[in-house]
Amino acid sequence: MLKYILRRIILSIPVLLGVSIVSFMIISLAPGDFLDSYRLNPAVDAEQVKLLEKNFGLDKSPVVQYFLWLKNMLQGEWGQSFTYQVPVWDLIWRRVGATLLLSITTFIFTWGIGIPLGIYAALHQYSLGDQIVAVIGFIGLSIPNFFFALLFLFFAAKTGGKYFPVGGYISLDYDSFPVWKKFLDIVWHVLGPMITLGTSGLAGTMRIMRGQLLDELKQDYVEFARAKGMPENVVIYKHALRNAINPIITALGFSISGLLGGAVLTENVFGWPGMGQLIIEALLQQDIFVIMADIMLASVLLVVGNLIADILLAAVDPRVRLRLG
Amino acid sequence: MKKFLVLLLVFVSALAVFAEEVDWAIEDVAGKPGGTLFLDTTSGPKTMNPAWAQETSSTDIIGWVLDTLVHSSNKGLAELPGLAKEFSAKVTEDGKTVYTYVLRKGLKWSDGEPLTVDDVIWSFEKIWFDENMTANGNAGYMDSNDELPSIVRVDDYTVQFIYNSKFRRGHESIGWTEILPKHVLEPYYNEGKFQEAWSLAELDKVVGSGPFVLKEYKEGVRVVLEKNPYYYRKDKNGVQLPYLDQIIYIIVKDLNTGRLKFEAGETDIYSPTAEEFPEIRAMAEEKGWIVKQGGPNLGSNFVTFNFNAKDPVKRKWFRNDHFRRAIAYAIDKQTLIDVLYNGLGAALYGPVSPSSGFYNPEVENLGFRYSLARAKRELKDGGFVLKGGKLYDADGNQVKFELTTNAGNNVREEIGNILKENLSKLGIEVNFAPMQFNSLVGKLVSTGDWEAIIIGLTGSVDPASGWNVWRLDGGLHFWNYSPEVKPDMYDDALKADYMVPEYEKRIDEIMRLQVTAVDKDELRKLFDEFQMLVAEHQVLVYTVAQNYLIAYKNTVHIYNPEPNPAAGVLWAGWNIWKDQ
Repeated sequence: MLKYILRRIILSIPVLLGVSIVSFMIISLAPGDFLDSYRLNPAVDAEQVKLLEKNFGLDKSPVVQYFLWLKNMLQGEWGQSFTYQVPVWDLIWRRVGATLLLSITTFIFTWGIGIPLGIYAALHQYSLGDQIVAVIGFIGLSIPNFFFALLFLFFAAKTGGKYFPVGGYISLDYDSFPVWKKFLDIVWHVLGPMITLGTSGLAGTMRIMRGQLLDELKQDYVEFARAKGMPENVVIYKHALRNAINPIITALGFSISGLLGGAVLTENVFGWPGMGQLIIEALLQQDIFVIMADIMLASVLLVVGNLIADILLAAVDPRVRLRLG
Repeated sequence: MKKFLVLLLVFVSALAVFAEEVDWAIEDVAGKPGGTLFLDTTSGPKTMNPAWAQETSSTDIIGWVLDTLVHSSNKGLAELPGLAKEFSAKVTEDGKTVYTYVLRKGLKWSDGEPLTVDDVIWSFEKIWFDENMTANGNAGYMDSNDELPSIVRVDDYTVQFIYNSKFRRGHESIGWTEILPKHVLEPYYNEGKFQEAWSLAELDKVVGSGPFVLKEYKEGVRVVLEKNPYYYRKDKNGVQLPYLDQIIYIIVKDLNTGRLKFEAGETDIYSPTAEEFPEIRAMAEEKGWIVKQGGPNLGSNFVTFNFNAKDPVKRKWFRNDHFRRAIAYAIDKQTLIDVLYNGLGAALYGPVSPSSGFYNPEVENLGFRYSLARAKRELKDGGFVLKGGKLYDADGNQVKFELTTNAGNNVREEIGNILKENLSKLGIEVNFAPMQFNSLVGKLVSTGDWEAIIIGLTGSVDPASGWNVWRLDGGLHFWNYSPEVKPDMYDDALKADYMVPEYEKRIDEIMRLQVTAVDKDELRKLFDEFQMLVAEHQVLVYTVAQNYLIAYKNTVHIYNPEPNPAAGVLWAGWNIWKDQ
């Protein structure tokens, strides 16, 4: 097992290197650079732009820039943000908390509700409950996130912010709250973006769970177990469910890479101070090192997420374990 | 012990003798202190370092925290005292210009340290006059000979900036520059790390002199400003200003959410879009809002034609005055204002905004109102012929060109669409294709590979801030770059064809002369002529601008009776107060 993990880690190095080359290339191919807004500013002299180009290293060819970046990154230097004049890592680190809070609660919401509902729907196939659950799921899936978010905020504003806050991360008088209330305040604020993001993921999780479980329930071994007189609960929850959960775990691996990606539109509408906002601004301003850091971080998480998913799969499925050998 | 106490007493009273009374600035306002003003902003500050801050999200906050020698009047002119209680400009007999600033006595930084003339001198000498220390460079402080002024410390409160030539712009550029605390920033400077000073990681180190100090910044959430206890202004009842205890900027990325927050009462002031304005106005009475409309914004949107387009046939048209005038007649400004700004806008005819104190209303009398008939007459005068619904030049070439703008800017895209349609009625075929902003800038300032572009520049009250655009050797003289400024754009054929029309020469001359026009009447005359020249020849074909629109709760007492884009609704913010 350990050998397998080690091999996977070594194999991921060329993958990450490839990702970095391709993304750096695409960023360089995009016309213009960070200084374009300076170039069209009547207050900035052309000489000054040249000076800044030199200071920011933008006067070098993209290939040289890439290797400089790679060299620095291998030494643990992720570069400076042009706009903020602080190390990129610093910038990302400040946003990680809010993003993780949102993605983890959304994750719990989606999976915590989606899996039980999926199981319920599978066990009561074609019943009224199944239909209702399906309809709710598809409504969530089909309403675009930003629109759902706006509807949510509209509701919050019309009710005067009594039930839900009108976006934001904390209340205005947050600082005067005792610790427990601070905690509750943040939870109250996370509800909106969480529900918005969660409802769109809910249908997917639910349908996969339902379909998989239905498949398993039709298998011979289920019939056999039932015929042997095994209690129905044991048949379903110990045997069938265990096999049905495989694809869900694979999907979980992918969702780890999304943990930090954030949800740009939803974050924007709710004014959630996560990484999505940061990245979109960096993209618009061509703040190269911030973009690169984000891409690399997402790639690392994707690799790690898949690894975790595989390990989890091995844990639940002996067939996988055998192959890993 | 007793001895020690006596000694202490003597020491304290000695200090009291030396502690100076502040030269208070007395404001003509009688409000009530206390309260918090809630504002919204789309983005928090990127840095609090004024030399490196670029976006308004940063400079708006810095404006509260760091004070300047001189303040702007509500018409946007540099004429009110700030840190300096007196200032003057004099031209000496040998042709030098001397700007004198007298600091108030007893000024203090927000950390309690005295603010002295040494801070002023240090800020200019080490930071603002050094091109490596700021993002914008030091060109803004230079006179027409590209020389910086020398700084003379006259006494403990007086400092002079002496230019070796007649130079009128020094007062604005020096007077409006933030004075920095030497005792805080010098260590960064000495370590060569000034650029990183007061970045996000170090906001707790910011020390200011303005009405408010930065208390807290939660990224992406809010910025909290707190009143500076050492601020040097009092109202007419002797209450120390600012009135407000706090200003809180709530960061709201999404404009719809910003409006919802204002409607829910979470923010106090809101700048509606033109589209929203009628709705907001309709709700105002019920909600208790005050809604106001000011003059047109300072920025501009215009169409520019490349006098040095790669195609020799096309550049001949673009250089033809009649051609550009015809375009000006073909722009239906009123429809644009109605469509884009719900009727809440103004037509622009020249390079200076009607909101500026330097605006010359004469430009409107040139009569560039929408008229396809007059456009046709201009084209005829320019030697163009309309045949079978298509326009041809004197040599028989069909008139068609590429028009572009930056994609995503609704206003410019709409201008392009309407223009294209109107020009087709004149037989001109326009291929209108918006492109990404960075590509557009690349074409405009590096390759020169474009024909016509709709673009805008940030405006300001003083037309001279556009010298970079109007001077022949300017870095933004994009429609007719000099081959010396942009050698890469020119091959030999194009270089041989480069020409400067008379009006361009005169504009260039005016832009050089205005720099030395210390006399106000002389200056106004020059700027009047400049505006007429640009408008008459439609060097840039100006379009429309939106009016300045605001809505605020009636519990907020803003100070500016007529908010205009030059000063803004938050002008003299230390005088703003709020009913509790």
